[in-house]
Amino acid sequence: MMSTVTGRLSQAFLLLLVMSLIGFVGIHSVGNPVYNIVNIETATAEDIRKATIALGLDQPLWRQYVLFIGNVVTGNFGTSYIYHLPAFRLVMSKLPATLELASIAMLIAAPAGTLLGLLAGRRQGKPADSAILKASVFALSIPSFWLSMMLILLGAIMTGWFPSGGRGPTVSLLGQDWSFLTLDGLRQLTLPALALAIPNIALIARLARSGTIEVESQDFTRFCRAKGLSSRRILFRHTLPNISVPIVTIVGMQFGGMLAFAVVVETIFAWPGVGKLLIDSIQLLDRPVVMATLTFVSVAFVGLNALVDLFYALLDPRVRRSA
Amino acid sequence: MPSLHQFRSTLLAAALATVISAGPLGAAAFAEELRIGTSYKLMTLDPHYADLNENTSLLSHIYERLVNQDERLNPQPGLAISWKRLSETQWEFKLREGVHFHDGSPFTAQDVIYSIERIRDFLKPPSGGFQSYTQAIKSITAPDPLTVVIETNGEAPTLPLSLTSIFIMPHKTDGFATTEELNSGAQPIGTGPYKFQSWQSGEVLKLVRNDAYWGGAPAWSDVTFRIIESPAARVAALTTGDVDVADYIPARDVEGLEQRGLSVESISAARSNFLQFDIGRDEPPGVTGKSGNPIQNPFRDKRVRQALTMATDRAFLAEKILLGYGTAAAQLFPAGLSGTSATLKVEPPDYNGAKSLLAEAGFPDGFNVVLAGPAGRYPGDSESLQAIAQNWARIGVSVQPVVAPFSVFATQRSNGDYPVWYGGCSGEAVTLCLDAVLASPNAELGTGSLNYGKYQNQAFDEMLAKARTLEEGPERNEALARATEFVMADYPILPLYHFHLIVGHGHKVGSYAVHPRGWTTAMQAVPSEE
Repeated sequence: MMSTVTGRLSQAFLLLLVMSLIGFVGIHSVGNPVYNIVNIETATAEDIRKATIALGLDQPLWRQYVLFIGNVVTGNFGTSYIYHLPAFRLVMSKLPATLELASIAMLIAAPAGTLLGLLAGRRQGKPADSAILKASVFALSIPSFWLSMMLILLGAIMTGWFPSGGRGPTVSLLGQDWSFLTLDGLRQLTLPALALAIPNIALIARLARSGTIEVESQDFTRFCRAKGLSSRRILFRHTLPNISVPIVTIVGMQFGGMLAFAVVVETIFAWPGVGKLLIDSIQLLDRPVVMATLTFVSVAFVGLNALVDLFYALLDPRVRRSA
Repeated sequence: MPSLHQFRSTLLAAALATVISAGPLGAAAFAEELRIGTSYKLMTLDPHYADLNENTSLLSHIYERLVNQDERLNPQPGLAISWKRLSETQWEFKLREGVHFHDGSPFTAQDVIYSIERIRDFLKPPSGGFQSYTQAIKSITAPDPLTVVIETNGEAPTLPLSLTSIFIMPHKTDGFATTEELNSGAQPIGTGPYKFQSWQSGEVLKLVRNDAYWGGAPAWSDVTFRIIESPAARVAALTTGDVDVADYIPARDVEGLEQRGLSVESISAARSNFLQFDIGRDEPPGVTGKSGNPIQNPFRDKRVRQALTMATDRAFLAEKILLGYGTAAAQLFPAGLSGTSATLKVEPPDYNGAKSLLAEAGFPDGFNVVLAGPAGRYPGDSESLQAIAQNWARIGVSVQPVVAPFSVFATQRSNGDYPVWYGGCSGEAVTLCLDAVLASPNAELGTGSLNYGKYQNQAFDEMLAKARTLEEGPERNEALARATEFVMADYPILPLYHFHLIVGHGHKVGSYAVHPRGWTTAMQAVPSEE
């Protein structure tokens, strides 16, 4: 057990190092952030020179990187070039918004996708199955910006049921501001959560369907049926646990993805989350914030993967025994 | 056509009054909330941090300046009621009486001194983007609480104009406030028509009416700015009534908004977008002869620059690419703003004339050239490059358009990777752009900061230097207009268009006066009568 943990940790450490190097060099090669900090249309050459020195951008890249790593070791990601706030605090301040959006989207997607998948798998080849299959192909292949726009068109502009964007009023809980605790906040959450959930419903449904088909054809299912168990009981007590390992994996991965890369949905719904911060910061070449976000995302991914492994053990006695 | 009523002089005076005094007094009876969807991020609450509309537009509700600018960019009294030049290097400003900060403390000369010294001495780059406005200031004294005397290094005839950018903060007795202090917790306090309530950076700013405002109670009881950066999302928010005002509306959405009964107002921005040529180098990269052979820099020849100008259909750019929400440009600021020429006109394209000029210059078959520009930074930027490529093809100049994200483009441009590129200039006065884009690069004078092509014209430099010594007024404006006409006859750049600032609003707002500097404020929105 100990060796798995240390193995995991050293992997994570290596991942972070490689990621930071790629991020650092990547941002550097895109362009010079100083042009986004001074007003390029009014600044004098002297202003630009002074700002470059102040940000340490006149140093060679390797020295900037060594300085950066040295600071990160002490927990300091630097100050945002654009917002002039500590970069890591800035990322953390966007976290509640992202966390609640991703959680609600996953709370919709995981049960809905699993149920649809089970249903389709049980009725393989029947009209319900083919309808679910076709809908899932459609939902997976539409671009998320189009889906978001259509949701705004339907849910906000034509019917007026939901607001078109933005985050609702917040309530403070555990020192953070959450909007899902207020009624208006939930209304504001609905459309972006749906936009994030729909492709995931489709993904999970397809996974659950193929798992169900596989499990249903196995001997133990047939045995259960021969024993005279109701088909509902077979589905939920026997099939579901057997197909849950890949589903938990994909839920974990997708959830991690939503924490950082729900960029399109967050932008269109003006949702002030981490993904939007990341893409804005990349555009403005705000390197401290980009690095802080990437580090956070890497840590979150590693953490989520560990959680998923734990879940395997809970779900699958074979994994438990081997460990 | 927007161009006809860009500068409606009669309405102007009324609109101006509202901008300056924050809404008619009678409207104060409506205790209404105004919700504005804006593209401006508001990155910091430090009013002296960065000289970007992103910050100053929203902060101008809370903080005020000594001198304001009307819709023709002429200086108007703000926190200072009058100013005069005592000598070549001395200015005296009389301050407004009876003005109080939001915490109740009176506004005095000490606050002016504090604010200017905070910018000049305390803030270090990268903050302190306003330092270029305070550079000329040698010392500042207060003979009495409502008078400040500013001593300058050398002549500074346009000091009042410089002060139109500087927000006044209340002075502190224990040193200068840091940016961190202002960003975290400490409530920003100014003299402005609205008081700070709360903000979340990049998300929302909430303001409440300052009932004790010196200009009378402001029109709206509460103002909420929602930061919505995606233009489509701003349009959607306005359409569904989630916001009452939305700025930077894309031209293609105007019709849809009007069909839904929303109003749209627009004005030519105090800026221009143009093509700049590399004139400094003998063989800039990206220019070759028709057979790919290296050639001498063609843009050094005035006839080539003139031919390219004649072959560019600027009316098409304004009418088709900007859908009419742009004015074809023949100079740096739209005609009508102070310091602009009334005689410079955009001629329709003359391809035959251009072709023969090109032949005269030694390029009868034209040449190949890379035309670079940013994507999505300005309305119509990358589309314009495509259109210009088609125009120039007609006189034998084959264009390879190169479009990049702005940060990439800006880096490459300053590296000198392009022979011709798309640029932009804006500012509080046309002099800023004349200095930056057209004057010869001169570190001492601080000119030529945007003159990446190293265009040099000594006679023009002298005319500009002479105009610079004149005080703000008709004489100076005239001198600037003459200098502009003189330099444009040499085709140093190819002005393309002044795009329009488009603001949409719902029924709660009776009228909205768009300001050419692109500010979005509650003071510009007048409540409707009902």
